[in-house]
Order: sequence, then structure tokens, then C-alpha cells
Amino acid sequence: MTSLGSSSSSATEYTVRVPKNTSKKYNIMAFNAGDRVNCSSWTQARMERDMSARRIYGEEETQEGAAGSEFGKKQREEARRKKFGIVTREFKVEDQPWILKVNGKAGKRFKGQKKGGVTENASYYIFTQCPDGAFEAFPVHGWYNFTPLAKHRTLTAEEAEEEWGRRNKVVNHFSIMLQRRFREQERGEDEEDEGEKSGKKKKKSGGRGGDLRIHDLEDDLEMSSDDSDSSMGDDGESKTKAKKDTGKGKKKKKRKSNDEAIEDSDDGDYEGLEVDYMSDESSSSDEEPEKGKPSKGEDLPKGIDEASESEEESEEEKQNEEEAKEEEEEEEGKKTPVQTEKKKKKDSSGESDSSDDSDIEGETASALFMKKRTPPKRAGGRGSAGSSRTGSRPGTPSIDSASTSNTLRAAASKLEQGKRQNQGPGTDSPAAKRLKMEPSSQSPAPSGKSTPQPPSGKSTPSSSDVQLTEEAVRRYLIRKPMTTKDLLKKFQTKRTGLSSEQTVNVLAQILKRLNPERKNVNDKMHFYLTE
Amino acid sequence: MTDKTEVNLSGVKQSKGVWLVKVPKYLSQQWDKATEKGEVGKISFGKKQGKTEVCFSLNEELTVLDAVGEKDASLQVPRDHPFTMHTVGGQTMAAFSQSDTDEISLEGMVVHRAECRPVVSDNYMKLKKLQIKESTKSPRLSQQLERAITTVFKPVANHNFNVLHDKKKKLEGKMVRAERQVVLDMLFSAFEKHQYYNIKDLVDITKQPVTYLKEIMKEIGTYNNKGAHKSTWELKPEYRHYQSAEEEVPTA
Repeated sequence: MTSLGSSSSSATEYTVRVPKNTSKKYNIMAFNAGDRVNCSSWTQARMERDMSARRIYGEEETQEGAAGSEFGKKQREEARRKKFGIVTREFKVEDQPWILKVNGKAGKRFKGQKKGGVTENASYYIFTQCPDGAFEAFPVHGWYNFTPLAKHRTLTAEEAEEEWGRRNKVVNHFSIMLQRRFREQERGEDEEDEGEKSGKKKKKSGGRGGDLRIHDLEDDLEMSSDDSDSSMGDDGESKTKAKKDTGKGKKKKKRKSNDEAIEDSDDGDYEGLEVDYMSDESSSSDEEPEKGKPSKGEDLPKGIDEASESEEESEEEKQNEEEAKEEEEEEEGKKTPVQTEKKKKKDSSGESDSSDDSDIEGETASALFMKKRTPPKRAGGRGSAGSSRTGSRPGTPSIDSASTSNTLRAAASKLEQGKRQNQGPGTDSPAAKRLKMEPSSQSPAPSGKSTPQPPSGKSTPSSSDVQLTEEAVRRYLIRKPMTTKDLLKKFQTKRTGLSSEQTVNVLAQILKRLNPERKNVNDKMHFYLTE
Repeated sequence: MTDKTEVNLSGVKQSKGVWLVKVPKYLSQQWDKATEKGEVGKISFGKKQGKTEVCFSLNEELTVLDAVGEKDASLQVPRDHPFTMHTVGGQTMAAFSQSDTDEISLEGMVVHRAECRPVVSDNYMKLKKLQIKESTKSPRLSQQLERAITTVFKPVANHNFNVLHDKKKKLEGKMVRAERQVVLDMLFSAFEKHQYYNIKDLVDITKQPVTYLKEIMKEIGTYNNKGAHKSTWELKPEYRHYQSAEEEVPTA
């Protein structure tokens, strides 16, 4: 209030005018104080009515005339509404909200909604002081409350509920990223030729798979024709990884259920599989957390196998189990990247012998871990060739059904990892052993692990289990149709000791010699041989 | 959508401050009665014991209240209205004006809020009483009549409306069958405008007897028993050619 500097009691008077002829309608624009709006800082402002409600009010004419319209439809509709007493409110432009845009495109936006009931019982006037000192009063016609509009994307109700449901889950971003990457790689592999690209990709995916699992079963499972399996395997792997990292039981359970769902082993998968004990390899066994891991230390390979199995089963996963993790019977490789690396290192560090040593160490470690019943971390780095295969322990509860179904996947992943892994002593026998193992769900083909491993081929093979021979390829192709990608997966560089390019070349030659038959499955070219 | 109007920000740029004043309804009604010049009263600022007091006093001529339907010259609108001033606390308010030409301009920022209160006097109380009485009167009124109404609703042999209707019918006469081709042309042009027609509407349009029309329609159209457009006639597919907004009518 401006007091016009008069004496204390004297009053200054001004006339008040209410202009009659004003063409302007005055309104109030109200902001919330918390928004800290400073009108004087505006450089430019645009305002328009928000007509988005017109659609709701204006009944859209489906078609004016011509097709689809009826004669007199409008009148009939109107009469019908009157009969039912439906009163539609008119769309009044005056009552529509304002949209105020300040400072151009990058500035703020406000929505001004009309406040009702302002002029009903009392009138508001805007008093402005004129240069001559008199006051002019303008009646206020409308009051609009302006609220700032959010520029960022807001969630809808469904999205918000979804996010709310996820608030307790601790998400392992690393594993998720890896999973995504793996999937992308796989997708890319499927689309690309079997050339270097695939080799490279295999390497990459192998690397990633290495994190999770390294054995034939995985490879088998990841074959392109078994898309679901492989994807499930991936999921499982990532999940286990996540579990390892976070130790979340939930994921493990999910994985388990996934395993259950995924593991669909073909009938012929287990044929010819040499196993020590034939026992029920039901999925339920998978479920059981391996409680009775009998062999802890003595049968290192066994222990490792068990460990690997238990890893999958059990919820906790320990990092150290990495080495033990070679068994990738379970596709779900619980390997953590750390473990994978460790394993890789181990693999890379040595030939089969050295890897054997490391395997042994790993197995021990895993065995120890098994004691504690913590899920050993699966060594991701090892391909199927490496680490003890749980398959060798059919009797142990640790054998999960997953491993059974993982045969294929394990084989597939092994292939991948074979590339990554060092060239172990890729002898035929280990390869043969491994191959035998493949069909068996129980034992993911262990790469020709040497000494500590029982000759049944369970136990963790070190690197280089696979030999890229014509015979091996023939065996694969006889068994089931495979794409070149799948074949490559089986002969991973780590296992065969060849570089990716060499592998590709050799494989190409072999294929030429074999001249397999082709068929198209899922838009992919599969090779197969009939004996 | 109306065009985006550039807001004239000259008001706020000059940091014009305005007051938002709440004025009672009767007072604003009196203000509406002001002369062309628009002078309604005076506002005075005084300082009383350190506090600034604002008071508005109504012009003399405007104090006469035109009470609705009552000549009560004694009732007058109070003259003095002190303003109660408030600061603008939780709201940032600005006044914007919209002209007839849809030009929007920001007139200024509200720096003070005020309420115009009358000085309470007997006069004012009487005025208020009157207002309350008026507002409690319901728009609908039950009234007892002394005598029955005899001017409306007399019994009538035939209502006027009916008489006119019959006359009209007589004038039009029975519907005559026109030439088949003529009727066909009429139908085709009608179906150009809309796809579905009720038989009654067709009769209306063509002014043909129903049986004749039905006969023709059976020739060129189909009848929809069910579906969205129930009990309507439409042209047979070979006769119709609806294209977005255009139709071609094949000659029969």
C-alpha cells in the first residue's frame, strides 16, 4: 500500500473510477508461491486455450454422408438421448484451461485451470493507479490457477504399479547387461554367416558364456534350433550369476523353475551316455539343494561335479566356486564374472595339464564350498570342456535335471568356450568322452579332463577337450541337425586349441568333405547326416 | 485450436502493481449504475496510530438502492467501506486481460489483496435482511387459486393441430406412382447422400406409395435385418460405389 507521505492523520484521497466502456476482460492468473514464478523474468510468453476436451464433447461424426451413414441418424441419436435424459454439457470455450508457454520452446509451461465460483457471491476488482492518481477498478471475470507442467516423462498408472512392485528387488545390473549382451550376440550369430563373424561372435559369446558355464551341455542347449533352451539357458545363467552376486534366493528359485521349464531333453539325448550310476535324474533332484554332497575332497572331480550341480541348486553362490563351476551342466551358470575370469585364467594358463591342476584346485575349492553348502560359483570361463561335469555323478543329488537338459546347452556353450579356452590337449579321447557326455543329461561332456577325472568323462575337463575332426563333426551331424553356428560352438577355440579363423576354415573343409544334407528349420540352415 | 497469442508483457516489465479487491455484490451492483465517467467514489488513505488505513466511500448518488419491486427509499447502501488489506502470501498473482480481439496482455502483478467491508449499521442490517429474504424465495411458487381456470383446456371436438394435419393430408392427396425411372433416379440421388435409409424416410423423400417403393427397392437394394443399421435399406453392392466422400451411381 502506498502511503502518500502525509501527516499521520491526514488522509489522501483519490477518486475511484470504474470504467464502463472497457473492451478488455480482466482475469486473475494465480501461481503457487512454491513454484517461484517471477513474471518479470519472462522474456516472452504465449498463451492459448487448451482445446483437448473438445473431442470428448463434440460427438464425432463417423462419416458425413456417403458410406456408413444413415439418414437422420443425428436426429435419432439426439431424440434417444433426450428420452433417456442424458444431458451432455456444452463445450464452452470460456471454461477451457489455458496453456501458457514461457520463454519459448525450452522454457516453462503452465496450465491454467479455471476456478469456479469466483464471481458468484462476491465480485473481485483489480485496482490500478492511474498516472493522475486516480484509481481505476476493473471487474475480474475469471480466476485461473496456473500450475507448472512437467516436461519429463511421467509414468502411467500401470507403469507406476509395475515399478512399485519391483522396489524390493535388488537388481544386478551387471548380470543383466551381460545377459543382454549375450542375447544380442546370439541373435547376431544367428543372422550372420558362419564366417569369421560367427567365429568372433562365438568367441564373444563364449566369453560371456564362459562367465556362466563351460561345457558341452551348455553348448548343446544353446544350439540354434533349440532357441528356447538357449534363451532359457541364458536366463538361467544370468540369473545364477545374479544370484551369485546378490545372493538372492529368489532368483535362484526362479532359475530353478526356469531350469525346470527349459530342460527338455530329447529322447535320444541320454542314449549312449556313460554314467557311473543311473539314478533318477528328475528335475526334482535339481530342486533339491544339494545337501548330501558326499564327495568333498577325495574325488576331486566328483566333488567338482557335485559342486557344480549344487551350485546350481543351491541358492548361495560363492565366488570361489568358480573353478568348481566348470560344470556347466546346469546351464544356468551361476558363474560370476569374477569366477569366469578366474576360470578363464586357469584355462588360458594351461593346457589340459595345467588346467587340470587348476581344475583340481578349483575342484577342491568347490568341494570345500560344497561342504558349506554354499552354491559355488560356477566358473564361467570354463567351457563345457572344463571342470568336472556333474554328469559323472548321477547318484548325487546334486545332479540336477538341469544338467540333463543342459546337455545340449552345455555342449553348445562348450563349443563357444572351446574357442576361448586354450587349446588343451585336444585329444580324441577327451573329445569322445565329452561327446558321450553330451547326450547324457547327467554329465555335461567334460572335456577330456585328465588324471583326476574318471575316465567316464565326467569330471572337469580342462581346456582342449574337443578335437575338430571330421569324425567329431560327423558324429554331431548324425545325431541331430545343426547349424554351422552350433557346430562352431562345439569346437570352441579354447578346447580345440585352434584360433577362430582356423576353426572356421577347418570346419568348412570338413563340411565340404562330408557334404551333409541340408534342411531349413526356423529359417536357419541345418546340416545333418543320415547314417 | 485457437492461435497462440503472444502475451503482451509490458505490464509486468514495468513492474506495475495492482490490487485485488473483493467487493460485495451489492456494491458492485451499485457501481454498475455509475455514470459514463465511471466515478463511483473516493478512496482515502489515512494513517491511524501508525497503521495505514484505507477507506472507500461511495458517491452519494450511488447509495440509492433500487430494491427489486420495492420502493424503499430509506434503504440505502452504506457509504463507508474500509478496506482490509492482506499481503499476497502463498500465491503469486498476476492480472491478465483478454481483449475482444483475443489479445492477451499481462496487466500487472498483484501486490496487495483487500476486502471491502461496509461499516455495519442498522441500515446495512436492513439491507442484508432484504437480501436474505430475496435469496430464500424459491423460483417455484405454490399458489392457491380462488377460482378454477376456465380459459384453457376446454374440451374440443377436434384439436386444432389435428385439423390442420388432416387438411394437409387432403391437400397432398394420395401418393401417385411416378415413373419407375424417375423414382429410381430419386433413390439413387438419395443414396448418394447416405448409405442407409429407413423405408419411412424413403417414402418421405420420394413421395411414393409404400408398396411401389418397396418393389423398386427390392430390385436395387437390400434390407438389413440386423446389425448396426437395423431395419434399413441400402443399395446392392453392384449399385453402390462409395469412395471416401464420393459416390458414383451407376445408371440402372
